[in-house]
Amino acid sequence: MTTSEHALASPSTAPLRIVGDVTVGFPASRTGYGQATYGNTQPQTERATWIAVWADGGVTAYAGKVEYGQNIRTGLAIEVADELRVGLDDVEVVLGDTDRVPWDMGTFGSQSTARVGWQLRKAAATAREAIMALASDRLDLPVSDLEASAGEVRPKADPSRGISYADLLAGQSIEREIAERPTVFGPSEFTLMGRAQRQRVDALDRVTGRAVYSQDVLPQGVLYASILRPPAYGARPTRIDLSAAERMPGVVRVVDEGDLIAVLGESDEAAALGARAAVIDWQLREGQPSRFDMPALLVASGVDGYAVQEAGDLDEGFRAASSVIESTYYIPYIAPAPMEPRAAVAVWEGDRLTVWAGTQRPFGIRQELAAAFGIEESRVRVIAPEIGGGFGAKSPYGLAIEAARLAKVAGQSVRVAFTRVEETMWSNFRPAAIVRIKSGFDAQGRITAWQSDAYHSGERVMIGRRGADTPYDVPHVRSLVYRSDSPLPSGSYRSLGAAVNHFAREAHMDEIAEAAGLDPVELRLRNLSHPRFRRVLETAASDFGWSGSRLGEGRGAGIALGIDVGSYVATAVELSVTGRDVRVHRVQASLDCGLVVNPEGALNQMEGSIVMGLGGTLFEASDFEDGRLLNAGFARYRVPRIVDTPRIDVRFVGDDTDPSTGAGEPGLVPLSAAVTGAVWGATGVRHRELPVTRHL
Amino acid sequence: MAITLNVNGARREAAHGERNLLSFLRFDLGLTGTKYGCGEGLCGACTVLVDGQALRSCMTTVGAVAGGEVTTIEGLSPGTSVEDLHPVQRAFVEEQAMQCGYCIPGFIMGAVGLLNRRPDASAGEIREALAEHMCRCGTYQRIAAAVERAASGGGAS
Repeated sequence: MTTSEHALASPSTAPLRIVGDVTVGFPASRTGYGQATYGNTQPQTERATWIAVWADGGVTAYAGKVEYGQNIRTGLAIEVADELRVGLDDVEVVLGDTDRVPWDMGTFGSQSTARVGWQLRKAAATAREAIMALASDRLDLPVSDLEASAGEVRPKADPSRGISYADLLAGQSIEREIAERPTVFGPSEFTLMGRAQRQRVDALDRVTGRAVYSQDVLPQGVLYASILRPPAYGARPTRIDLSAAERMPGVVRVVDEGDLIAVLGESDEAAALGARAAVIDWQLREGQPSRFDMPALLVASGVDGYAVQEAGDLDEGFRAASSVIESTYYIPYIAPAPMEPRAAVAVWEGDRLTVWAGTQRPFGIRQELAAAFGIEESRVRVIAPEIGGGFGAKSPYGLAIEAARLAKVAGQSVRVAFTRVEETMWSNFRPAAIVRIKSGFDAQGRITAWQSDAYHSGERVMIGRRGADTPYDVPHVRSLVYRSDSPLPSGSYRSLGAAVNHFAREAHMDEIAEAAGLDPVELRLRNLSHPRFRRVLETAASDFGWSGSRLGEGRGAGIALGIDVGSYVATAVELSVTGRDVRVHRVQASLDCGLVVNPEGALNQMEGSIVMGLGGTLFEASDFEDGRLLNAGFARYRVPRIVDTPRIDVRFVGDDTDPSTGAGEPGLVPLSAAVTGAVWGATGVRHRELPVTRHL
Repeated sequence: MAITLNVNGARREAAHGERNLLSFLRFDLGLTGTKYGCGEGLCGACTVLVDGQALRSCMTTVGAVAGGEVTTIEGLSPGTSVEDLHPVQRAFVEEQAMQCGYCIPGFIMGAVGLLNRRPDASAGEIREALAEHMCRCGTYQRIAAAVERAASGGGAS
């Protein structure tokens, strides 16, 4: 069988199966994060097959994560192949299909390598141990006298007597629980982990157009839906007349279910023309806040102040200070704007429902579908194909339910796809936030007191808490995070909360440095004892050739540090400012994410998160007024382009004996403050409000 | 009125000349490698070649290109292995110039269009030519490196 045939076969037919607990994907099903955030996502089954080794020695690994650009298909394959001692080409990774992979809460928080990768490494090591045991019997040698490589077990004393995994597994049917402490290889024994790979495992599909995204799922006879959505948030239809739409050529039917008004056509064109012929009067919701109301609204509506960090006595800390400064930082909403607008296709076969949806939460969406139709989850299959970016936006996926409802009404499969404007408008935005920081420090620049109050827009209980604590050695500290009213739907975004909190904190550190007459690097080091933070900062500064903020001739440099998803990061930026034009020349970052499984993959993620961070720092802001989004399309929403991209260099400084932590998000967290620090170096002006180019 | 046009070397028929080229390719012919990103000609995901020149298919009708030869990402090379890829595709593989990959067919077609015109395009010309393509994953540094590699290695065909 080829690897893709393995991927379609039931793992129960494989001669060796490794099973284990499904709740490793994210710890929070136990801590209530899923419940608090999405109101669902509890596993229906506790155990699943993680690895199948087939009769020909091929290997399939199963994971509930989805691939939306992180390149986990390659990373996970590397981990499995290395622990199992087979070739990278012998491993196929199956992702994101609720009928076939272990339950998972969702692909967010940079947990794929950190948790699922580790689970798969343990599963692969368990499989190798099972195969070694078979070889030990067959060769009548103790396991300690054997070694595995390239899909064979060989006596160390006589490598020519090797037996292939296929031979060893012939006629077997073995099921093993993932061992608690299997013998995983150490860094000196790695053959694939930590080494550069020639290419991604899915590269060919991506450059030939064969990779199938949810926009590309087009089953025979599918009906195309055009959904008539409100022109503004909170608008309600007062008159709906679909009679003309129904008569349009190619329109199969119109649907009016109150909260779901749609035209179903035999082609995209017919549905779109039909929708244009629909007459709907909308009543707008009056009195909604606009973008200009946000700073005041955030503070006025803040509730549930939560102490993310609290130590010492602030009064005492401020008394000990020789200087006290206070600043306020404001970050508007920004749009995730993934390149692929969401799409979903629903197919009913009797009471069995299959939905293709490019979601970060296939299992959560399965649960929502089951609840919506009052059917068992076992009757619902959600398949997440390739996903054209998400960045947090594709955790909610209401299109899945819309497509399933319309398919049920039509008695036929239905495709719902967002336009660009719909994708932006009916997404969740990165929360707007305001952060007030008051700090006290002595004449040597040692911080004695740190008082931070952050207000992040959004309903979610934990919104804004990530990264709100300071890593500096401050004896008297209190960091409170409030959640505030959100006129726009706010929710997940890459490094949610952390990038925003880091901007405020690190920008404030620069202000302390200026007030204390110290270099920004020196100021940070004086207040920083943690060795992993010091290492990333010192490495970034040295690789960058740090020589201070003011470079002259309109040029400036900035530097900042941070931590996100368990990874330590520092970034230095050089740029120049001419009029309202900010040109970023180079970015130098250092990242400590423990063991780097796939260096090219991690590097690609760092480069990408830095570019994404430049967008929110320099150009991006979502504008709204009276419930209308004013810049939903790319004509008005400016994202970074190839001509905005500086030279980016990244050095990994972690120890390969430390467990892998996330690499997809940390790149964002120091970036904004590094940029505003560099803008200050170039112009002498502090930017406490993003995006910078709106305030030049 | 039905209209015929050449797509990837084959004669294909469209129901009428006003049919949007991107929709025709994706939904009528099933050539889904060409992507919908914005529908406004701003993101480049829908880029195809018409007589070797890069064109935004979302802003074009079938009738407007009926006399020409349309090439989509599927028609660029057999694509059965890295060896038989078009040099630009191969360079994207070698530079790992992709993340989610959704924008990549459009970038490749845009780059092929440029190199058809300017086989030895400079780094600056490459960036200018691809400035109206978007990659939200931010893979630009690698995309630029891939196209530079293809340019210096004779990327035109």
